[in-house]
Amino acid sequence: MSQNGAGPVSVWKILKWVVALLVAAIAIFPIWWMINVVFALPGEPVSLNPRLWPTSLSAGIANIHMIFAQTEFLRAYGISVAYALLTIAGVLVFGSLAAFEFSLFEFPGRRVLFGFVLLSLMVPSAVTIIPAYLLTSQLGWLNTMQGLVVPGIASAFGLFMLVQFMRAIPKDMIEAARLDGANHFQIYWHVALPLSRNAVVTLAILTFIQTWGNYMWPLIVGSNAEMYTVSQVVGLFNSPLSHHTVDTVMTANLLAAIPPLVFFLIFQRKIIQGIAMSGTKG
Amino acid sequence: MSLRRHLPHYLMIAPFMILFAAFFLYPILSGLYYSFFDWNGVGTPNYVGLANYQSIVGSRDFTRAMTNLAQYIVITVPLGILIALALALLVDSFTGRWAGFFRNAYFMPVVLPAFLAATIWRWIYAPNFGLLNMILGWFGVRSINFLNDTGTMLYALIAVDVWVSAGFNMVIILAGLKNIPMELYEAARLDGASKWQQIVHVTIPMLGPVLFFVFTYGLISAMQVFDKPWLLTGSSFTSYGGRRHALLFPVMDMMGRAFGGVRFGEAAAYGFILTVAIVAVTAFMFALRAWRERQ
Amino acid sequence: MAFLEISSVSKSFGTLPVLSDIDLDIEQGEFVVFVGPSGCGKSTLLRMISGLEDVTSGTISIESEVVNDVEPAQRGTAMVFQSYALYPHMTAFQNVSFGLRMARKPRDFIAGKVEQAAAILQLDKLLGRRPGQLSGGQKQRVAIGRAIVREPRVFLFDEPLSNLDAELRVQMRAELMDLHRRLQTTMIYVTHDQVEAMTLADKMVVMSEGRIQQAGPPLTLYDDPANRFVAGFIGSPKMNFLPARLAAVRADSVQLEGIGGTASAALPLAGIASEAGAIEIGIRPEHLRLVPDGSESDGGLVLDGRVALVEELGAESFVHMDLADGTRIIVRAGRDAARPEHAVRAFIELERALLFGRDGQRIYGRSARRR
Repeated sequence: MSQNGAGPVSVWKILKWVVALLVAAIAIFPIWWMINVVFALPGEPVSLNPRLWPTSLSAGIANIHMIFAQTEFLRAYGISVAYALLTIAGVLVFGSLAAFEFSLFEFPGRRVLFGFVLLSLMVPSAVTIIPAYLLTSQLGWLNTMQGLVVPGIASAFGLFMLVQFMRAIPKDMIEAARLDGANHFQIYWHVALPLSRNAVVTLAILTFIQTWGNYMWPLIVGSNAEMYTVSQVVGLFNSPLSHHTVDTVMTANLLAAIPPLVFFLIFQRKIIQGIAMSGTKG
Repeated sequence: MSLRRHLPHYLMIAPFMILFAAFFLYPILSGLYYSFFDWNGVGTPNYVGLANYQSIVGSRDFTRAMTNLAQYIVITVPLGILIALALALLVDSFTGRWAGFFRNAYFMPVVLPAFLAATIWRWIYAPNFGLLNMILGWFGVRSINFLNDTGTMLYALIAVDVWVSAGFNMVIILAGLKNIPMELYEAARLDGASKWQQIVHVTIPMLGPVLFFVFTYGLISAMQVFDKPWLLTGSSFTSYGGRRHALLFPVMDMMGRAFGGVRFGEAAAYGFILTVAIVAVTAFMFALRAWRERQ
Repeated sequence: MAFLEISSVSKSFGTLPVLSDIDLDIEQGEFVVFVGPSGCGKSTLLRMISGLEDVTSGTISIESEVVNDVEPAQRGTAMVFQSYALYPHMTAFQNVSFGLRMARKPRDFIAGKVEQAAAILQLDKLLGRRPGQLSGGQKQRVAIGRAIVREPRVFLFDEPLSNLDAELRVQMRAELMDLHRRLQTTMIYVTHDQVEAMTLADKMVVMSEGRIQQAGPPLTLYDDPANRFVAGFIGSPKMNFLPARLAAVRADSVQLEGIGGTASAALPLAGIASEAGAIEIGIRPEHLRLVPDGSESDGGLVLDGRVALVEELGAESFVHMDLADGTRIIVRAGRDAARPEHAVRAFIELERALLFGRDGQRIYGRSARRR
């Protein structure tokens, strides 16, 4: 039909490309602008350098260096990474164990229990966050890593996604393993889990992005400065009461943005697949 | 006896269900319980019956928050989906590497943490030297204080929200587009349908379930809006919602009463009201779909 | 007591009955085939023997031990699935050794067993490959290998050849027969293909609607079906059924009327228990002959009809002809024996005719032919 460059260049084609590129610019520009602000000489007024592209590598490096040297950013990185990794481990282990059962087997109460979990998706997270905070406080877990991580492990979204993927495992593979003498856990470990690798990886990445950006929960659970996650530290920079300059604030934000962005660029196929799957089957 | 047979199943789901019960079921139930009490978190709660509910519904903030929410939802959900649909069709018309490039570009805002997006947009919206006002300045238009002018605040928020949600919804709609068999388009073409007619008569009907999901999920999320208005207005627990509460929303109001006013019982009641509203809306959507299917 | 006994077994899914009153004895080393149309319950019965489905009532015993409540892996059975059910993320070696690895057998032991199975099935060179790199036939052999390695006392096959193309199916059938001969293990095989059943089985069990219609050696079922269903199910092309009327029962013969609309004949059968009434005559295509017009019926029956269509197969042909009352019958003939639209005559070898009552059951009688 139409070959690359061989057909007539119609008005529609040009329009299509213009619109697409324009929208792409709008989508990416804020991030691009953030990079430019960081990599520009701080004092330069905007009229001279409208920050449309990076102008000074050294200024950028100086900014980054300053953030790490003079604030607790590195520590916050550590806390956020630990928070994310522990949450991912919990969500994957607890979620896959349960998803294995809900997707492949029948047992009394299965529908009811799964129904409860699905219903919880409809309860606004803000509603549970306060009582969850109170419970965490009663357990003495405020300002601790377990207080940050444990309440977030029973993720209904994660369970739902893993169930959808695991449903696709052919039943006779499970039966064959049963006939081969594998016990329940062995079937989970040797058959179901390897076959769900895609879903597990996707969920891990989505959970990472979600915990990294989590603002509210760390804010109320980790009020001690030592437990600050990246989101809280950046929140300090962002607050209108902070007296930092634009480039400093943006540097903090850039440093916070890098891990999720990097993850996205590497795993974008899987992430998009995971979200799309739960949408079309939902 | 039959329970013993199913023991392995229960053991495997136990870890998840225990945590779920502890941090979801218990909070929801205890929230409901505390909503009938007056409690500041440390002392002993006082039973007050429906007083919390009454004071919430009667308060000016509640009315304001709900009004804002209604205005917000009515614009942002349909707008977000329309743009997502347009973007999905746009990306679908490309092939190979360019399709992937545009898809990733449009999805990138979703990946950013909310506090980040809010900060960047705060600076873009900044009066006088923010990017938008600079561009307006080139055209000789006077600087607008987007985030402080009660006339523009809501729209500024919607713009940020659409910037994020369009990419998310686009990805789901794209997957739905890929599922539409080519033969349907070919048959329509043979019947003489133009590109536009094909979209209206093939694409959109076939996207039915996907659009339903995206719309319902969008509604539920929009009703819980918190992060973005909170961060865009630079709110804190002592002062939130922006100028004249133009960006006050129900969840924010609830959080404010909890951690600002330290009235946990009242906040719990607020949460319950919100939950009922969301469940009602969801049930309505499903009933609507059932009604349409019977047509 | 038989090696494997199924006694008064019934199965229901909730209130939906799926199998009723199944009684079957299987001897050690027999190759038994469960055959029947879709939904007849043959797969369910197989799965009940394996332990994947529960028994609603009745007992299944292996070597005099009731196994109703025994775990599938402990019954000494192994199953080969229609879709092979191979683990795609493991090599052929790992697939075959899976059960042994789960039981934590020593590595040398496992290697030895797998090598043994691989030798029997000619899988030696393929052990390092993944299922995705194997052909259909090779995958099937790996699935069989996985079963062999467990040294079961009963092999169970659930339509294992259905996913293969025709040529491969014939080849694999021969390999299965060979395997049975070598291992001498009891094998129970499920298929919907009656040709497969006839060629493989020592004992054929024809099922329909949750019941056993007849069980026995294939040729017995072919020559001596117990009811109309078995008669019509086995044999390709199918047996012809002519509606007729049992007019009179005599000491050494029965009078049949209304065959093909108008013909009558006397069958030399004695000891008939039925009364007069409507019946069906069953006669296989190979027991019919096309005869030239005008020839006499010679101790047999001759029917006139018109050729509807002819299936030419090269060595023989099957002539479909319509009789006076509209019944269509198939006659086996030689090459080029008839043309469509022509009038023909079919000669029926009456001694080969089988009688079926209105309830579908066979009407038995002793041959009273006098020579």
